[in-house]
Amino acid sequence: MKLTKRYLLKTLSKAAAIALFSTTATFSVADGISAKLDAWLMENSLGSHATGQENWDEIVAAAKEEGEVSVYTASGRIAKLVDHFEALYPGIKLTVYDLGSVKTIEKTVREQDAGIFTTDVITTGNSGQVIYELLGKNRIFNYVPSHYVDRIPSENRDPLLVRVNEAMVFFYNTEVHPDGAPISNVWELTQEKYRGRVGIKNPMSSGSSLMGLATLVQNPEEMAAAYKRLTGEDIILGDGVPDAGYEFVRRMLANDIVIYKSGSKLVDASGKAGQDDALIVMGSMTYISRNESKGNVNAILSDLDPVSRLVFPTFMSIGAHAPNPNAAKVLIAYLLGSTDINLDTKLEKPYIEGASFDLLQGLAPYHDAGSVSPRNDVPLPQGGEIWDEMKGWNVSAKFMWEQGPKLRDFWNIHASQ
Amino acid sequence: MIKAPIGIGKPAFWSVQNISYQAYRLKTRPELIIGVLALCFLSFVVLVPLLQIIQDAFTFQSYDLSYEPDGVVGSFTLFHIDRVFNQPISTALFYKPLLNSLKMGFAVTAIALVVGFSLAWLMVRTNVHFKGVFGAMLVFPYMMPSWVMAIAWLSLFKNDRIGGSEGLLTYLTGIQAPDWVAYGIFPIVITLALHYYAYAYLLISGALATVDSELEEAGATSGMGKWKRIRVITMPLLMPAIGSAIVLTFIRILGTFGTPALLGLPVRFFTFSTQIYASINARNQGDAFVLALVLIVLAISFIWINSRIIGVRKSYVTMTGKGFRKSESDLGKMRWPITILVILFLCMTVALPLILLLWESLTLIPGNYSISNLTTYFWNGKGNINLAYGEPGIIHNKGILEALFNSIKLGFAAALFNGVLGLLVGYAVVRGRGARLSKWLEAIAFAPYIFPSIALGAIYIGMFSTNIGPVPALYGTFTILVLITVIKNLPFTSRTGIAAILQIHQSLEEAARVQGIGWFRRMFRIIIPLSMSGLVAGMLLTFITAMRELSLIILLISPGNMVLTGLIFSYQEMDMSQHSSAVTLMLVLLIIVISVIVRLITRSAGVGRLNVT
Repeated sequence: MKLTKRYLLKTLSKAAAIALFSTTATFSVADGISAKLDAWLMENSLGSHATGQENWDEIVAAAKEEGEVSVYTASGRIAKLVDHFEALYPGIKLTVYDLGSVKTIEKTVREQDAGIFTTDVITTGNSGQVIYELLGKNRIFNYVPSHYVDRIPSENRDPLLVRVNEAMVFFYNTEVHPDGAPISNVWELTQEKYRGRVGIKNPMSSGSSLMGLATLVQNPEEMAAAYKRLTGEDIILGDGVPDAGYEFVRRMLANDIVIYKSGSKLVDASGKAGQDDALIVMGSMTYISRNESKGNVNAILSDLDPVSRLVFPTFMSIGAHAPNPNAAKVLIAYLLGSTDINLDTKLEKPYIEGASFDLLQGLAPYHDAGSVSPRNDVPLPQGGEIWDEMKGWNVSAKFMWEQGPKLRDFWNIHASQ
Repeated sequence: MIKAPIGIGKPAFWSVQNISYQAYRLKTRPELIIGVLALCFLSFVVLVPLLQIIQDAFTFQSYDLSYEPDGVVGSFTLFHIDRVFNQPISTALFYKPLLNSLKMGFAVTAIALVVGFSLAWLMVRTNVHFKGVFGAMLVFPYMMPSWVMAIAWLSLFKNDRIGGSEGLLTYLTGIQAPDWVAYGIFPIVITLALHYYAYAYLLISGALATVDSELEEAGATSGMGKWKRIRVITMPLLMPAIGSAIVLTFIRILGTFGTPALLGLPVRFFTFSTQIYASINARNQGDAFVLALVLIVLAISFIWINSRIIGVRKSYVTMTGKGFRKSESDLGKMRWPITILVILFLCMTVALPLILLLWESLTLIPGNYSISNLTTYFWNGKGNINLAYGEPGIIHNKGILEALFNSIKLGFAAALFNGVLGLLVGYAVVRGRGARLSKWLEAIAFAPYIFPSIALGAIYIGMFSTNIGPVPALYGTFTILVLITVIKNLPFTSRTGIAAILQIHQSLEEAARVQGIGWFRRMFRIIIPLSMSGLVAGMLLTFITAMRELSLIILLISPGNMVLTGLIFSYQEMDMSQHSSAVTLMLVLLIIVISVIVRLITRSAGVGRLNVT
């Protein structure tokens, strides 16, 4: 073959093309557990090798040996714990990567696919993807410190340990409605009276808002029954709407529900004092604290048919091949709070100072009205006592994984009509 | 030195003669070497991500399992294409947002162009008062994050559709602004135009400053009227700048997210960018990347149409080494009224948002604007457990100060690299004009503009999370922030580079070459000084964008390389509005101060010389 200029150029461009494509090579997803991962799990008694029994002092000692621990988190508040944690466990340096829920999952998946295993603890919400894409694909592993198992109801630790439960609730303005709850059934929000007077944070960009909707949609029979209790009639579904759950979403959108970008602006829309015609909004219950901090006059619709409290969890777990597995275990125990707490413990605000901080430990920044520890022996935070009075549904990870995208499409189609 | 042999036919490709002949040719044509090197580098950082987007768009993602539970993740699929173009969801996902984005893009571009052009004309070609101050202040809106204006608009006009506290209009007059004034396409277009007119203003005023008045006088001598002179002489000379301004503005608008999200959502005005953002947020990359590809195709066709109409012709050489004069027309009686008009414009676009930010940063309880509610806590407080989660005020806050340092570092590094790269690309493109290399280089240097920022960030995570050959894993480092900023801004600097070199007639360089002056000295003594004014403007813009950019780097920042915009974002997420306002204000002031200093230095160093003579 002759070495002509044309031939050389051809070969060069071919090589370049191959090089380009190979750098973008497809990532492979390991479904099974590799021998290497299995050995790591065995060594650290995780996954299928969890024994249920452990020597906590040995773990703490090993953690101090490791000297550091990193966490990918969807919540920035963990950063406030760094000094307290490092004082309690001298010798373990805590690094917080505050990534938000989307990036926490994205970064974990991308890094692990590229063979990089840098993070120890991963804590984020978004049930469907965490359970199916992370836990189901062995990218994270469940870990419950053995001395906490009896303090945590099984739904909060199986299949994955919950760090904190939160809820979406409906807020109304107590100045506009001085006689108490303006509605008793969620379907009233789809009636002409509330046209353009109901608000929600954009479920297309907010995971918690989508989960709140999903929690209603995943129970179509209950929703249909509630509709019948309100109107006395069977519900008539719109064109192509599969069930009463989706029909609720369709009617909310048809009733000109107002979409917000910011959660705090949303709850101010209902709660700001001095309004004539405030909205009713579905927002995160934690915003009830704005009554105190920002002078809002919100109240929670605590007796709604069929449900008032739409609960969604934030999980925590240990990443596959975590470089500091023992320190990760110590951090998870710390985030659950001290075992010295019981239901009669008096905890004083501000929780993130003094004796309360020492008892609540990693729970302190989350011990707010509207957030609830997964444990059954931690008292409810002040201002959040209403939690136990409300009927609640929990978001289903299976529904989110299988139906979440379809619910988003449904919302998208009906929002732009 | 070596002549092509006569009579023996063409020498073989590998012959000593040919190689040394080629080497000689290369030596006399440095633009070839630069061009090839730049092309390789840019292919790596631009083409690879593009291929990755394409690949992901045709790959079955784990998100899609919800639709097709039996699908194999990672296999080839046309599912996303079908979904975006050909399903019941397509109207909501694609066609309506497309229409909205186009409407928004055209309207904003038109207004921004008219505003930018008028201001440029006033500043360069008339005797309007306070030129120095105006010239500096007119670019201020561009230095703020673009959503600042949207927030200001909301606090002025918001009505009871979104409830909460009253807007200023309602507070003062009791009148509720109609929905179309408060939300949707009207306020989006206005606020974006008031932000993005800076492109048109900067580019056109730069070009206007180099138009030799003698050309127009020649027109006058040959009997042309004022308007005919403008139409036949001045406008054609400005066309490249106008063309660049149109392209840059339009494409930016297509990819802009913050403002449509703030002002569009309450009335369900969805755009391409909000759909991409929502898809990325749900980790639905299939949709996101198909939409991104459509954006890219849109951008390319827009550029193509634009270049068909305007073209980049050699006839735009305006710096010839011959005489140069500039004249200002007298506004006469209109001089003061027009000056006042400009002042009002600046009050609206600069003073108002800044005052709102300052005020917000000084309120104890946000939304309460009474005097008794003012505090300086968020500036100099030492950290109070009951306020803002115990976060100390700005001057005592270590995190803020570190982010501040990182932002400045990022701004300067990006501007410097961008300037150098832009100049080299411009040189290689212009001097090699006509050759394929030049065309490719120009195209590829422009390519990053058509990536939606957020998508580029997502791809860079994937691309640099592991080492590629000799390139180490850059993920989580400061370097990757600089790299992505340089790449994203390259289209602009390479455009200014091209425009600058285009204006320098080859004869200037040839004259030096005849005297045996080498390439580096020609570069430093002729090209760089002559193109400095455009180049500095381009670098300054990069600096500004780098300092206030968020969507591009949001996926790549971590506490180790935190910058100010990232911090503002997290303060907003945590609803610490005083901190976010205070840091935003600090950021804006910092950008303003640094750019004013840069302008002063460059002016005293004589960079603006050509504009003033």
